[in-house]
Amino acid sequence: MQGEASEISKTPLFTHKSPHFSHTKREWGDFVYFLFGALAGGLNGLFGGGGGAILVPLLLSIGHLEERKAFATSVGVMLPISAISAVIYFLNGSVSVGEALPYVLGGAIGGILGGKWFSKANPVWLRRGFAILLIVSGVRSFL
Amino acid sequence: MIAFFVAVTTGVLSGFGVGGGTLLLLYLVSVAGVEQTTAQGINLLFFLPAALLAIPSHKKNGYLDPTIIRPAVVGGMVFAVVGAVLAHWLDQELLRQLWGGFLIGVGVLTLFR
Repeated sequence: MQGEASEISKTPLFTHKSPHFSHTKREWGDFVYFLFGALAGGLNGLFGGGGGAILVPLLLSIGHLEERKAFATSVGVMLPISAISAVIYFLNGSVSVGEALPYVLGGAIGGILGGKWFSKANPVWLRRGFAILLIVSGVRSFL
Repeated sequence: MIAFFVAVTTGVLSGFGVGGGTLLLLYLVSVAGVEQTTAQGINLLFFLPAALLAIPSHKKNGYLDPTIIRPAVVGGMVFAVVGAVLAHWLDQELLRQLWGGFLIGVGVLTLFR
């Protein structure tokens, strides 16, 4: 049992492809990712963003995902979650299409470029840059 | 025009999944002087095309894990509504401070894990 544990420690914990996991563990994996989604979704709805900021570290540290997969998968998770939160903001009258339009157009172009350039980006640099970005943003919001 | 270029830049980061939305929120609240919940609403709308258009590349490169995305989205949907409703119920200034604390916490976690 002990030897087995060290052997699997380098493989992703909850990957379905992993030969080390039985059906039961797979279901555990689903439940853990369900909770990750719930946490990231709740915070993303509350703050109108930042769901990826909590999801990426969770996928890296607990899910043991490779850096690029963690970032990209987080984008895939946050898209439908952000869409449903956006509907609530819209219904509450917090935001109008006119106000958001320049940002939506810019975001579209940025998204295309981001997707294309992503393979060339350095994962370690990505993670450190991301962390510094968060801390600086956080400190600034109190100033 | 400035709004557009800020959105392109932060959109690249959003496509990466590296916190473009965080940066855009900061710009909206601190520089453009937009109210907190309006900024949050803009940020959510901005993320939709950025993510939607980054995803085909991510998929082609094999970076998306559907076995994670499926359960996480199911869990996220309900709480995404709860969070968004709560955002409109809370005091704006408190919301901004909670956001700042959240960022610092996650940033430290990511940097020193």
